[in-house]
Amino acid sequence: MAFKRSDVPGEDIRLAMEMTAKRRQLIDETPATPLVYEYGVNRLAKSLHPGFVKAAIADKIPCSADCVKISLEPVSGWEFPYFRAGQFITLSCKTGGSFLSRPYSIVSSPKEALAGKLEIIVQRKGIFSEFLIDKAAEGTELWAGEPSGDFHHDSVRDKGHILAIAGGSGVTPFLSMMKAIHEGSEDFRITLIYGARTKARIPFCPADFEGDGVETVVVLSDEEAEGYRHGFITADLLKEYIDDDTSVFMCGPNAMYGFVRKELESIGFDPARIRQERNSVGDREVSEIKVFRLTVHIRDAVYELDAPNNETLITALERAGIPAVVRCRNGSCGFCHSRVINGEYFIDKKDDFRRSADKKFGFIHPCSTYPESDIEIDIPIMNV
Amino acid sequence: MDKYDVVVIGAGNGGLGAACRILNAGKTCLVCEKHNIPGGFATSFVRGRFEFEASLHEFNGIGTDEEPGSTRKLFEELGIADKIEWIQLKDAYHLISEKEGYDYVMPFGAEAFAKATGGLHPDGEKCVKEFLALCKQIREAMAYLGETKGKPDPKVMMERFPDYLACGSYSVNEGFEALGYPKEVVDNLNAYWCYLGADGNNMTFLHYANMINSYITGGAAIPKHRSHEISLACEERIHELGGDIWFNTEVVKILTDKKGHVRGVRLKDGREVESRHVIANCSPHLVYGKLLDSEAVPERAIKLTNFRKLAGKGFTVFLGLSRSAEELGITDHNYFIYDTSDSVKQYESMKTIGNTAAQATVCLNNADPDCSPEGTCIVYMTTLFTDDAWSLVDKEDYFKTKNKVAASMIERFEKATGTNIHDYIEEIAVATPETYARYCGHPQGTIYGYESQYYDGLMNRIQMVEEDRFVPGLRIGGGYGERLLGYPSSFKSGVNEAGRTLKDMEKEGR
Repeated sequence: MAFKRSDVPGEDIRLAMEMTAKRRQLIDETPATPLVYEYGVNRLAKSLHPGFVKAAIADKIPCSADCVKISLEPVSGWEFPYFRAGQFITLSCKTGGSFLSRPYSIVSSPKEALAGKLEIIVQRKGIFSEFLIDKAAEGTELWAGEPSGDFHHDSVRDKGHILAIAGGSGVTPFLSMMKAIHEGSEDFRITLIYGARTKARIPFCPADFEGDGVETVVVLSDEEAEGYRHGFITADLLKEYIDDDTSVFMCGPNAMYGFVRKELESIGFDPARIRQERNSVGDREVSEIKVFRLTVHIRDAVYELDAPNNETLITALERAGIPAVVRCRNGSCGFCHSRVINGEYFIDKKDDFRRSADKKFGFIHPCSTYPESDIEIDIPIMNV
Repeated sequence: MDKYDVVVIGAGNGGLGAACRILNAGKTCLVCEKHNIPGGFATSFVRGRFEFEASLHEFNGIGTDEEPGSTRKLFEELGIADKIEWIQLKDAYHLISEKEGYDYVMPFGAEAFAKATGGLHPDGEKCVKEFLALCKQIREAMAYLGETKGKPDPKVMMERFPDYLACGSYSVNEGFEALGYPKEVVDNLNAYWCYLGADGNNMTFLHYANMINSYITGGAAIPKHRSHEISLACEERIHELGGDIWFNTEVVKILTDKKGHVRGVRLKDGREVESRHVIANCSPHLVYGKLLDSEAVPERAIKLTNFRKLAGKGFTVFLGLSRSAEELGITDHNYFIYDTSDSVKQYESMKTIGNTAAQATVCLNNADPDCSPEGTCIVYMTTLFTDDAWSLVDKEDYFKTKNKVAASMIERFEKATGTNIHDYIEEIAVATPETYARYCGHPQGTIYGYESQYYDGLMNRIQMVEEDRFVPGLRIGGGYGERLLGYPSSFKSGVNEAGRTLKDMEKEGR
């Protein structure tokens, strides 16, 4: 027998038999000091990911023909977390019988968030933006979801120079990145190419951001003006700003993505080095609008409502005033992960970011799913 | 409904296993999960065109359809086996250890593994065969102890399991020293140490031998649709059996009556659910430190919890690469890359940030070529921090610190395997102890529950399982349980605690 600690017969077995008694004794000898279950790691995790934060509108400033910059401050007792420049927040509130949530890229910088300021740019385009621009007065309280998303510079993944291409309010994440570079919370070079029709539609002042490796180029399509490029964001223009150390980030309308991708392809730019922020999934075109019955379970509560086939399930839930969890509204983040109990549904392939097991077992993201029949689903409760 | 026979706190492996067991016995059960999906660490996430496995490297105890392993049999009993599609792994591991200059691949299968070890040292084959015979004795002894419900016939034990009896007080390092195997053989047999995360002086020989035996002789597998498939299979089974799972539902209090017996739970929104039995799939630190009112917690529960050591804090780099594994020259599924094969020294160097890039790394495409789009591959690298170093990181340095560690791990992998992957990173996600703390609430971001210690190892915990519980109606199962960490272990621990809960209910009913 290999196991032999001493020549005393049965010594090893005796030691083995004594293991529990020794453990018992060691427990007896351990002090009964109060248990610590939250360490620095847990506190930092909570401060970076606080969940929903109660925020109030501090200020509203028009910044272009159809955009308003809204400044938020945390309600007393709450704090904004540190974040990655380029991330978005979700704003939620009850208005006119509906419970609405919308994602907005943060325009302010990470250090500003720590100082109690979060700014977003809201472009007039729907019911919630109109509420924010026209109705929500200073002091209006909203729930701000924690900063989310992977549309930020990553020092391991991305090159040292970001060619940032933006249109409309899509400039917001890049404004945050440029501020972050100036304040020292991010360290990379950025060239912003912003496409607009006219000067009046530019929601920021390019000169405010220049320096420290930040360059801005504004391309006007419908107007010629000194200090601005004229035309479109073409391969020739892009080439001027691409070096060996460049990754491309895009944020703007889907049409812009298609156009710029083709231009980049024509000069042989590696598509794996292009990132684009995803836009919300909106209504879909259908040959005939049909209204289905949507049965919703939240824990042991059951709701019945109408759900037209041209709208996502989340839109139907919101209209009915049901507080449904949703974050990205483009199918990718999985925050609204829900179970289909029965019924048919449609998800556009480009908006389908579900896990493969979700597909196998019939789970959906209601923000990117349209009903195709009467449908019964089980959604997670909103835990604000 | 606001009343259940059993409430399970947490839908991790242990909680899901427990709920399936309770429901299979015809009792009512509610699972409360604070996250919006089941699984705890048994999950996956999507970035761009990649779906990353969150934690599983390989699952042992599955076996094959023809020769099912113990975990597959358990899944069959619970009614979830048919819901999961398994992929068998070809090789055990590719070991690279810098100090000793090791760089070799070990196959699964007792014969093949012994033969391959023979290539490392002339006595290798003989040693491994002897070791596996010892493992067989250990396994049979454990089975006999189970059959006799912990009351074995001493004569049978002495006759059939003399080595098992003798090695019960040995650590891994003491055990291998007693066996007297050559260094090359011991280092090879030590390769799996990172899966349990305790060094060779603290890991008990019995436990470790049992684990490597399971891997080497039984092989390992992964679920086709990531570990999320296991979690959703359990969720589906829970619904089939009439159980409920409430997501985004954090339990903030375990309620007890005047006699100190569990009477229910309170949720974060103030709602109370009545239940005489609770199975907590979370840390005893949380249960005794926060969930129970302090007057319901006996002093010994606090002492026991203070006595335990929080195990390794997780750190993982997930990479979606824009080239195939073949193009990049990544040949294997499972890599162990160490600074040294001495687990005590390696463990010591893993206490601080930036001191090591030792890692267990998986290239998923080498097990499942279809796991990512054609011309791409998925690689994930895991390491442990063996001390609470991440508690000292400031929030404004956090993102930089995590990328610094990620970059060093990538560089280490490239150097060890002679590959270039950093030029092809299309997607990256980095999970730190903060990330694990965020998702599952574990103290210090531990992913391994309580570390195996010399006097807090597998056998001691199993033998003292009833002594280690204090509150009537409450049982704690999962990764902090008696079987320690790991997928099959935490799952089985939950199932076992459910079995004990059913017995508690039976006794109460009498």
